[in-house]
Amino acid sequence: MATKNSRQFDYKDIESLQVYLTGQGKLLSAKRTGLSAREQRRLKRAVKYARFLALIPYTG
Amino acid sequence: MTDHNHKYQAMFLLDNEEVRQGFNAARDWVRTTLEKHGLQVHVLRLWGERQLAYPIGGRRRATYVLGWLEGSGDAVNNARRELYLLGPVFRCMFLEQGEIPAEEMSQGIPEMADADLVIPEELDDDLAEEMREGPEQEEEASSEESAEEGKEEEGKEKSSEEGEAKADSEEDKKETATTGGTSNGN
Repeated sequence: MATKNSRQFDYKDIESLQVYLTGQGKLLSAKRTGLSAREQRRLKRAVKYARFLALIPYTG
Repeated sequence: MTDHNHKYQAMFLLDNEEVRQGFNAARDWVRTTLEKHGLQVHVLRLWGERQLAYPIGGRRRATYVLGWLEGSGDAVNNARRELYLLGPVFRCMFLEQGEIPAEEMSQGIPEMADADLVIPEELDDDLAEEMREGPEQEEEASSEESAEEGKEEEGKEKSSEEGEAKADSEEDKKETATTGGTSNGN
């Protein structure tokens, strides 16, 4: 179960996902994003869904 | 296991060429295909028409349709197979979700006029490249012009400097001559 403070990521919310991507379209590391392991996994999944649906590019 | 019903969020990418002939017809085809395979369609609505982040099968734009469904995993697999084989859908994704949000449920399957959805024309690759390169070429041309102007100005400056130098040297000569004259006079 998600805790109160844990962040949720929606693959349709492209603007919020792009904050965690480099100019090349690569996902930033957890060290840089400052997210917990669970949040980083959620972010990773959302980015991959968005890439599959051509909402964000695979590469810059 | 697969007979167990789940709730799914689904996103369908529709070919704009087919959507131009009528969005409602394309959406109804998706709906009937899903229902044919035993899926219950709670929501199926237009999410947006937008440019793709990368071309898919030569397409640069697509119409996105968001759906909320209920059914078994087998039904989803069979529906996906048919969606990819026939009809306007060229990409789709099904995600299992715990609950369907009340906001989405309230939207249902809204009726909209085909004319409400305006789909811009896709440019040919060559034309799109020209459109992209156009401003750069103008910039390059303007930069070349400015460079040439700069050279001309430099040339003018050089010539004016040379002229000034010549004038200075002549004045020096005159000065020396005058000084020489005075010295000679003395």
